[in-house]
Amino acid sequence: MTEQAIEKQTESEKWEPKIIAFLCNWCSYAGADLAGVSRIQYPPNIRIVRVPCSGRINAYFIIKSLTDGWDGVVVSGCHPGDCHYISGNLVARRRFAILKELLEFFGIEPGRVNFMWASAAEGERFAVLIRKATEIVKKLGPNKKFEKKW
Amino acid sequence: MVMIVGLEEENKEIESNMRELARGLLKEKKVDVIIGYKKGTLPMMSQPIIIDKEEDVDKLLWNNTCYVNLAKYLVPRVAKFVDPEKGNLKVGVVAKGCVGRALIHLASENRINLDEITIIGIPCNGVINRQRIEMEIGEKEILEVTASGNNIVVKGKNFEKEFPFDEYMNELCKQCKIRSPPLVSKFPDLHVGACEEYASIVDEFDDIAEFEAKSPEEKWAYIQDALSVCTRCYACREACPMCYCNLCFVDQNKPIWFGKTTDMPDIIVYHLIRAMHMAGRCVACGACSLVCPMGIDLNFINRKLEKIVKQRFDFTSGLDPDTLPPMTDFKMEDAEEFMLEED
Amino acid sequence: MDEKLLKKSDISKLFNEVKDEYNFYAPKKVRGNISFELISDAKEIELDYLNSKVPPKDVLFPQKETIFEYHYEGKDVIIDERKDLEDKLLIFGVRPCDAYSFKLLEDFFAFGEFQDDVFLKKRENATIIGIGCNEPRQSCFCTSVGGHPYQKESTDVFLSDLGDYYLVETITEKGKDLVKKLSWLTDAKKGDVEKSKALAKQAEESFTTKFNFDLVTKVLDENFENPVWEEIAESCIGCSSCTFLCPTCTCFDVIDENDEYNHRGRRIRIWDTCQSCLYTLETSGHNPRPEKIQRCRNRIMHKFSYYPSNYDRLGCVGCGRCIVACPVNNELRLIIDKILEIEQKEEGEKANA
Repeated sequence: MTEQAIEKQTESEKWEPKIIAFLCNWCSYAGADLAGVSRIQYPPNIRIVRVPCSGRINAYFIIKSLTDGWDGVVVSGCHPGDCHYISGNLVARRRFAILKELLEFFGIEPGRVNFMWASAAEGERFAVLIRKATEIVKKLGPNKKFEKKW
Repeated sequence: MVMIVGLEEENKEIESNMRELARGLLKEKKVDVIIGYKKGTLPMMSQPIIIDKEEDVDKLLWNNTCYVNLAKYLVPRVAKFVDPEKGNLKVGVVAKGCVGRALIHLASENRINLDEITIIGIPCNGVINRQRIEMEIGEKEILEVTASGNNIVVKGKNFEKEFPFDEYMNELCKQCKIRSPPLVSKFPDLHVGACEEYASIVDEFDDIAEFEAKSPEEKWAYIQDALSVCTRCYACREACPMCYCNLCFVDQNKPIWFGKTTDMPDIIVYHLIRAMHMAGRCVACGACSLVCPMGIDLNFINRKLEKIVKQRFDFTSGLDPDTLPPMTDFKMEDAEEFMLEED
Repeated sequence: MDEKLLKKSDISKLFNEVKDEYNFYAPKKVRGNISFELISDAKEIELDYLNSKVPPKDVLFPQKETIFEYHYEGKDVIIDERKDLEDKLLIFGVRPCDAYSFKLLEDFFAFGEFQDDVFLKKRENATIIGIGCNEPRQSCFCTSVGGHPYQKESTDVFLSDLGDYYLVETITEKGKDLVKKLSWLTDAKKGDVEKSKALAKQAEESFTTKFNFDLVTKVLDENFENPVWEEIAESCIGCSSCTFLCPTCTCFDVIDENDEYNHRGRRIRIWDTCQSCLYTLETSGHNPRPEKIQRCRNRIMHKFSYYPSNYDRLGCVGCGRCIVACPVNNELRLIIDKILEIEQKEEGEKANA
């Protein structure tokens, strides 16, 4: 982008979301690593938290992230059937399904919370999905619904 | 629903049947204690009562104000249900459909041993929506509430008003498909009285369709407005038979997960996470809404949960103590249309 | 004559006259419940009400209150004291029981060497307009705790509802200042004062719930370990409706909220309740009130035994909110009955011996 083009950007276009990404130690974290060493570009908006398994993810983590001001949350684990602990991601999947529907029911943009599978070999897929998640969250704008009145 | 007899007669019949059963159980020493409802001191109230003598049976009562889910008193057991020498006593529970479901579901979570209880089944005809009636009466004192025909008659000083019961029933009771406690084939001795076998429950969830069709902004505005009066007294939690955690997530302080104030985000987070925890466990007794001192209607959230669980996992809580609750179980082929995928 | 008359239709006039000087709080219907809210339009004021769901204590001692805020300037922390404490408050339409509760709150917040500035300043700047109760509820029992449906203590101006208009009595200097501003108030006739007195008498006679609290206090003092407490706590589910809606409950929890991203924070206090298991939980993990029975007992003991010995008055104003609010109907009248039964039993035993 030229400097002129950057200047022309509106406030909302300039705004970059901050996204917290919970990555499973065995697949997605390695996938992110692979994306890095393979020099595949993906948006710098995510901050990674390594967790032992996507089954470790509690709805608390996700909601707490939103109340703490993160604009979006990404949770990534192993593909179904590939879980290091056999079924962690399958149990987590049911939790995610409920959370996603409940958020929608409460009128909170479900797009703020994104779930994905990415294996250790899928650096490219990881980058693509992170790009997609970032775009979704960017479109939603800053996370205001959990902001406390000061 | 077509009622052949009036509400009053129906209640009387249920009540006298229940008393006979309770008397029989105590006489034959099949149970040690019975928990049921007795007349409350306020017009739209009933009070839980624990009896262990035959002569007290006539204190037991059934009417359309028996809100409290009695399963609450079994997890953890109140002092009267435990004998210092004999250990856990055999408890007879006066159970409408949702109390029976709660007991069976709690058994599936290994919180109750079904051998230690007897379900005294009641063909429940619904409970009234206390807060709705109170709010419509407004700032006048209600002195007497009776049932007449299919109406609830509310009397006070200088006024009398009739409310059609079908309309002023608690929202969850209107949709209830499990009015009598479900039978469990593995425990044939568990039940006395009106219990039923439920093969599969068909529910269209029409009642929340209107809310679901709203735009996100409308939903958010509605939720904010509905919960704005919440004082976070946690009566909803304490009345819920499924809320038996030693330390609730809102009370945890190492670390503090969520704010404890009555700021809007904190209130919404409390209700959101509580809803998460109720998924696949709510037995649709409506106690949370009926006990709310501020009259917040949480039923629509519970209905949504029921819907999600029914449609995604084809599960109805409280029917079978041997089925794993859906949130502790999984299937390889569970739907995952919400997962992020490459285009 | 000191007494004045205020037409009910003139409430908006009153509101408009004083709204600039005072923060005007009055009963307002919020989602079907009456509560004392900051009024911005006279139309919001609800005149026809029994009593509010949440007591007017919420105005002076709100459920969530900021004690102070702070922000960082470089490495320094600057404390921002609250500036709105000097605002003058006017609380309109407080029932006599709730007005009396302010006295009890003062007892607590000004006890001993620890003075609660936030509350006391607010109290000092608050003018309270009380309204007499013409129709006490079945659950009301203020006459048993030393109150009265026309009790004027803790109010600055007292109104009696005479149908279309109010009889206005000024009680304190603060009240006089306020009434002076309302020059358009008409003088009351002798008949109106008589009428108000008759109403007060009528209201007093209509009470159905009466207790002998002297005896209750005595019995409580002697029966801390009585098995009757088990019976009382039996059906209690441990929700906090009774304490959260109580006009005299003062317990609070202090929380620090830190907003690191914006380099600021605040210390707030929120209502706490003795019915919660966390209330007495000590850092060591020990909890002196681990079960419902102790917590249930604490509420009753505090109101009817500890309060009389600490402040020389009962910790209850007889508004009956806890009676109405209890979701399992384990209400105060039944509890008091059970406590008094102990005494009766003892007396019976004495008579037999």
